[in-house]
Amino acid sequence: MADDQVAVFAEHLVKRFGDRRVVDGVDLSVPRGAIYGVLGPNGAGKTTTLRTLLGIIEPDEGRRAILGHFAPREASDRVGYLPEERGLYPSMKARDAIAFMGALRGLDRRTGRARAAEMMEAAGLGHAIDEKIKKLSKGMAQLVQLLGSVVHRPDLLVLDEPFSGLDPVNQEKLEALILAERDRGATVLFSTHIMAHAERVCDRLAIIAGGKRRFEGTVDDARGTLPSRVRYLPTRPDPAVAAVLPHDAVPDGDGWRFQLPREGIEGLLVTLIERGYGIGGLSIERPSLHDAFVRIVGRDATPDAMQEYAA
Amino acid sequence: MSLARTLRQALTIARRDFIATVFTPIFLLFLFAPVIMGSFGAVGGLGAASVADGRGDRARIVAIVPDAQARTIAEADTRLRDVFRRSEEAPPGLTTLRPAGDPAAQARAAFASKDYEASAVLYGPLAAPQVLYGPRGKRAADYLALLAAETLTADRLNGDLPRANAVKTPMERPDGSAGNRRQSASFAVFGVFLLNLFLASQVVGTMAEERNNKVIEVLAAAVPLESVFLGKLLGMFGVAILFVCFWGTIIAKLGSLLPPELASALAIQAAVGMPAFVALFVTYFTMAYLLLGSAFLVVGAQASTPREIQMLALPISVLQMGMLALALAGTARPGSWIATLAEMFPLSSPFAMAGRAATSADLWPHVAAIAWQLLWVSIFIALGARLFRRGVLQSGSAKPFWKRAKG
Repeated sequence: MADDQVAVFAEHLVKRFGDRRVVDGVDLSVPRGAIYGVLGPNGAGKTTTLRTLLGIIEPDEGRRAILGHFAPREASDRVGYLPEERGLYPSMKARDAIAFMGALRGLDRRTGRARAAEMMEAAGLGHAIDEKIKKLSKGMAQLVQLLGSVVHRPDLLVLDEPFSGLDPVNQEKLEALILAERDRGATVLFSTHIMAHAERVCDRLAIIAGGKRRFEGTVDDARGTLPSRVRYLPTRPDPAVAAVLPHDAVPDGDGWRFQLPREGIEGLLVTLIERGYGIGGLSIERPSLHDAFVRIVGRDATPDAMQEYAA
Repeated sequence: MSLARTLRQALTIARRDFIATVFTPIFLLFLFAPVIMGSFGAVGGLGAASVADGRGDRARIVAIVPDAQARTIAEADTRLRDVFRRSEEAPPGLTTLRPAGDPAAQARAAFASKDYEASAVLYGPLAAPQVLYGPRGKRAADYLALLAAETLTADRLNGDLPRANAVKTPMERPDGSAGNRRQSASFAVFGVFLLNLFLASQVVGTMAEERNNKVIEVLAAAVPLESVFLGKLLGMFGVAILFVCFWGTIIAKLGSLLPPELASALAIQAAVGMPAFVALFVTYFTMAYLLLGSAFLVVGAQASTPREIQMLALPISVLQMGMLALALAGTARPGSWIATLAEMFPLSSPFAMAGRAATSADLWPHVAAIAWQLLWVSIFIALGARLFRRGVLQSGSAKPFWKRAKG
C-alpha cells in the first residue's frame, strides 16, 4: 500500500452470501487520524463491510488494505475492534478481560492489567475492576469490551454500532473516548445508524445502502446534498406575498417556508421590503445529516428502516 | 505472519482456556473422577465377590470312597492344591462320603444335597472311577480323576511316595521374552488409549463455548483461526497434562508400596529400552491427544448447541474404540499388514507406535511416525479453521497464504 496517508482502503469490495451481494462494489478511503463514519440503514451491509475490511471474512471480489497491509492480519496488532455482537467470557474478571483482549493483540499481560485498571478508573468503573463479567450490567460490560479494544493503543480503531445498547450518559462517554483516540493519533472507523453521533464526531463519512456506497465526504458535504430552507415571517399577514416568494414556498403558521434560492436571498429581501411586506422574522435552516441521510438512502431503505429514521 | 506470533497468540488463548477450566469447582470433580469411578468399581466388585464367595463357600467336589481311602485322598488333595497360584483357580473344597447302598444313586443324590453344591462327584473303584459333573464342573471332574490316580499310586506304594526336593531359582531373559514384550505393547496401547479416552474428548465443546459467548468475533478479528484452534487444543492439553501428572504421581507412589512379586509381575519389558520407552509413551500420548483432540475440535466446531455436542459423544467413543481395536490387532501381529495399517492410519498411529516401541528396537520408524502425526495435526487444524471460516463465519475460502500477501 503506497499511500501512507490512508489508514483503510477498499476498492470495489464485493461479498456475496448465496446469490445476494451484501457488499456490492464498495470503495473506501479512510484518512489516517480521522474519525470516519460508515452510515446506513439496517441490512445495508455495514457490518459485513467492516468484517471484510478486518479480514474476518474474505471478499469475493476487490481488494482492501489496513494500515498499509493488503493482508489485514499483518496489521492486526495495531487494530482495535468492537464487534456489533458483544462477547466476553462471563467468568472472567473485568480487568482480566481487558488484559486478555490486549494480549491477543500483542500487549504483555502485566502492562495490560495495569492499563486496564487505569482505564476502568478513568471510565468510572473502578469499583468493578475485579468483578466478574457476569456480575456487570449490560452497559458496563459493553464499556469493558470497548476498553479492551483500545487497551493496546491501536493505530486503527474499528467500532461496529458502538452506541447501540448504551444509555445517554455512556453514549457521551463513548463519544469522548472516540475523540480522545483521534487526539492520540488513532484513526477511528465506526458504523452507526444514529445520525446525531455521526454528526457530532465524524470528520468524514460514507453512506451505504443496499450494499453500495451512496455517498462519501464530510458531514457538511452530506448536508450540502440538500438545499437549506428559509423560514420567513412578514410584518403583516398578506396572502399576496406568495407572488413574490419562490414557487416552492408553502404556508407555515403565520409565515412561509421555502428552499434557499440558488442565487441567494439578498435580492428577495430587498423586494419584500420594497413591496411593503417587511421582515418580521427570517431564519435559514441548514438541513441536518438526518435529512441528507434519509434523502440519500431513501430509495434503497426498507419501509421499516425508513420509519425508524423518520421517527 | 511469523511462527513466533502465531504461537504467542495460540498460547494466549491456551492460557485463558487452561485457567478457565482448572480454576473451577467442576474441575475438582473431573480430577477426582477416577476416585469416584474406582469407588463405584470397588463397591460393584465387592458385591460381585460376596456373591461369588457365597457360591464358592458352598461349592464342593465329592469323593465317595471307603474310610480306608478317605485320608489318602485328602492328603493327595492337599499336595495337589499347592500348584494353584490363586484360590480362585483351585477347584472347590473336597468332601468325602462313605459309600452307602448304590454308589451311582448316592452320587446322583449328592447333586441334590442341601448342605453343599456339588460340582463333580467321584464314585466306584479308584482304578476305574466314575465321575459325574454339573454345569461348569468339567475341570473339577478332571481334578477328581487326577486325585483318584494320585490316591491309587499312594495306596499301592503304601503311602511312601517318592519326594523330589527341587531348588527353585527365578530367572529373567536378558532381552525379555516375546510374550512379555507383546504384553508390554498391549499395556502401552491400552495406556495411551485410556488416557485419551478420558481427556481428548474434552476438546470437542470448546469452540461452541466461544460461539455461545460471542467471543469468537473478537478472537477471529485479532487472531488467525488456526491460532484459535491450536490455542484451544494446547489449553485443553495443559489440563490433560495436569490430570496425568496428578494421577501419575499418585500411581507411582502406590507402585512403590506394592509387594516385590506383584511389582515384578507388572514390570514392562520394552525392546527400545525403558528410558526410550517411557519417552516414546509420553510422546505418543501427546500425539494421540493432539490428533484426536484436533479431529474432535474440527467436528465440535461445527456444532452450535450443547445438544449437538452431546450427540457427538457416541460417534467419538466409537471412533476411539475403533482406533484401539485396530492398534491392538496390529500389536498382536507385528510386521503384518494390519500392523502397518494401524501404524500408518493417522488416528491409530500413536497407539500402534506406542505398542511397537515395546516389540521392536528400531528407533527411526518412531521419528518418521511422529513427523507424520504432526503433519496430520496441522492438516486437521487447517481443515478445521477452513470449515469454521466457511460454515460459521460465513466467509468464502480464505486465499492461500502465498496469495494473501499479494492482495
